[in-house]
Amino acid sequence: MTSSVDTARSAGATPPAARPGARRRARRPLSETAVPYLMLLPGVVIMLGLLAWPAVQVLFISFRKLDLGELVRGKVTWVGFDNYTKILSDPEFWEITLRTVVFTATVVAATLLLGLGIAVLMRHLSGWVRIVLQLCLVLAWGTPIIAATTVFQWMFDQEYGILNKTLVLLGFDSFKGHSWFASGASTLAVIGLLVVWQAVPFIAFTLYAGLISTPRDLYEAAAIDGASGWQAFRAVSWPSVRPMLALVTFLSVLWDFRVFTQVWAIRQGGPDGGSTTLPVLGYLRGIAGSHFGSGAAVAVLMLIVLVAVTWRYMRLLIRSPETEL
Amino acid sequence: MVGGVAIALAVSGCAGSGGDAGTNTTSAAPPAGPRTLTVWLMNGSAPKTLVEALHKEFQDSHKDVTVKFEEQQWNGIQDKLTTALSGNDAPDIIEVGNTQAPKFASEDVLEDLTASVNDFNGANWLTSLKDSGNWDGKQYGIPFYAANREVLYRKDMFEAAGITTPPTSRAEWLEAITKLKAKYGSDPDFQPLYLPGQNWYALLSFIYDEGGDIAKKDGTKFTATLDSPEAKAGIEFYKQLLEASGTKAPKDADEQTPEQAGIYGGGKVAMMIGLPWEVATAAKSDPTIKDKTSGFPIPSKTAGQTAPVFQGGSNLAIPAKAKNKDLAKDYLKLITSDKYQADFAKAGMIPGTSKDVSALQSDPVNAAMAKASTNGKAVPATPGWATIEAGQNPLKDMLTAYLTGAKTLDAATADANKALNTAFSG
Repeated sequence: MTSSVDTARSAGATPPAARPGARRRARRPLSETAVPYLMLLPGVVIMLGLLAWPAVQVLFISFRKLDLGELVRGKVTWVGFDNYTKILSDPEFWEITLRTVVFTATVVAATLLLGLGIAVLMRHLSGWVRIVLQLCLVLAWGTPIIAATTVFQWMFDQEYGILNKTLVLLGFDSFKGHSWFASGASTLAVIGLLVVWQAVPFIAFTLYAGLISTPRDLYEAAAIDGASGWQAFRAVSWPSVRPMLALVTFLSVLWDFRVFTQVWAIRQGGPDGGSTTLPVLGYLRGIAGSHFGSGAAVAVLMLIVLVAVTWRYMRLLIRSPETEL
Repeated sequence: MVGGVAIALAVSGCAGSGGDAGTNTTSAAPPAGPRTLTVWLMNGSAPKTLVEALHKEFQDSHKDVTVKFEEQQWNGIQDKLTTALSGNDAPDIIEVGNTQAPKFASEDVLEDLTASVNDFNGANWLTSLKDSGNWDGKQYGIPFYAANREVLYRKDMFEAAGITTPPTSRAEWLEAITKLKAKYGSDPDFQPLYLPGQNWYALLSFIYDEGGDIAKKDGTKFTATLDSPEAKAGIEFYKQLLEASGTKAPKDADEQTPEQAGIYGGGKVAMMIGLPWEVATAAKSDPTIKDKTSGFPIPSKTAGQTAPVFQGGSNLAIPAKAKNKDLAKDYLKLITSDKYQADFAKAGMIPGTSKDVSALQSDPVNAAMAKASTNGKAVPATPGWATIEAGQNPLKDMLTAYLTGAKTLDAATADANKALNTAFSG
């Protein structure tokens, strides 16, 4: 900001005072200082209105008893921490939180590994093979979530699914009529696979962009020094891809932690609540049960868990501008 | 987070609406000038002929009134109604699914219609729908129409297997399955009865038949009774039936996933427990199946009786915030009259405010439904039930857990009981 103001000044007439050393910023007219802030104002107002206000609303609602009746009558009933104590004293909540964190960690790790692998692969592929791969990735990425979820449900169907039929054909007879949704863990594994399948393309492209920005001479130099493929990756690719990796890890954690659509569409958090994650709990409490206060409390708790999990990355993002994030 | 945003939006929708909620009454003189009566009915509920004739008659008798008819989709209707009922331009008449009605009735967001019951053909109401619309002794919802499940079967297969009359007891039902297996069992794709693990509507029939129920009512309080011996006996029969049939249906899905009518339409299934109009769905795969299909009521364990059935259907209600309550009541008076209720029977549904089901007799599939309909019941009329339907249904989880052997009968029923009580207590 300072630089832009300075540019504006230098573009103007020569300063009347001949002693440059005596220039003081405070001497500028107030209107001139206010201009940049005024220009920022509309953006700030829109950001606050669209992003901050709903978030603050959710926080307020979490301290209210807001059921259908209160909502319709426009009644405001403050209940303090009641919603929170009720949720936190429920052992199920802790089970669900743990499940959500483990699910998120697994999915993020799998996504990053696969994404990085494909990014490196893309750098080594050449010509039409790479274009075919990229086309496939874009198509997978472009498939609407619900459409992809439906396709996965068909593939994993107990009686008519292509997966079971293929496995039986390959000689694994025990998969005849095998139910992939019989337990929570198995259901979450299928959902995880679906989420990874949808998330990998973006991660792969982002990391690929980081990789191709590395000058080719560095690889040539490494090759002349007799570096193996793995050594070249560690010494040349890794440093250039690391900041990108930090960013996509952070983003993936945010996205995968609050995955709702796929989880709900596959088995509504079943069987027997076995694949219920925190967003599903929020939906069940808030929307399905019409206890909007309780649902908002779940949302706030989710935010707290998310901040706790990503704290390190957040600090990294805020503190080190030199990582060029 | 998704939920959070939705909540924030719903709340902002009602901003500034407080204050006038309790003051609007119908005693004020109706405003002069043209008025619009907004009516929300659900997709596929009232037949088109009924709606057109009804609206013509209503507009003829109410000068200056236009009926604004809006057909709503079932999908996502709970959220839509929540928003509409809290807004300032609430519709004047709404249709509410009978299992969702108590949620709205208990929250005082609907007009109390207790005083007008007799205007709405009150003597002829269907008991199950009357119960759904009643909360704490006050009537908020008016019966509209209902339907119940029956056994749909292939006449040709029954005949070929030597079954001369449709089963009228559980024993005969199981016997019919044995005969069908003997005749067609050599075909590995054949299923005498298609029964997925989570057809909880069928389970309810068996539990009612044993004298059990989902819950016990005490005023407005409900306590789950799935751990009663009667309920357990009903579940045991479900298992017996499922095992006897050797059905290939998934144990962890309901009759909609995959849609059972489509599988029945494939021609390798002799029976399914479903609604009359599922025959038409099956006929989409094979048009000839319509003429080969008939129906019989779900048999009771007592020979010669029909098992009680769960009745699904709709209630009509007037939102507390509606602007034209006087007109809305006139409209309800008309739609609940015998004249228009007869159209429901003609369309193959059980009328909610008329006892005349003669129009259903001409078709054997509809006749079977009508025969069982006199013994119809509804799910507990508690606001908690809407949560169960919109979320995770403990009855389905219980069935799957028991049928797959993941839990014992005692553990499965105890868990479901606990989950239901949690839902009932809000």
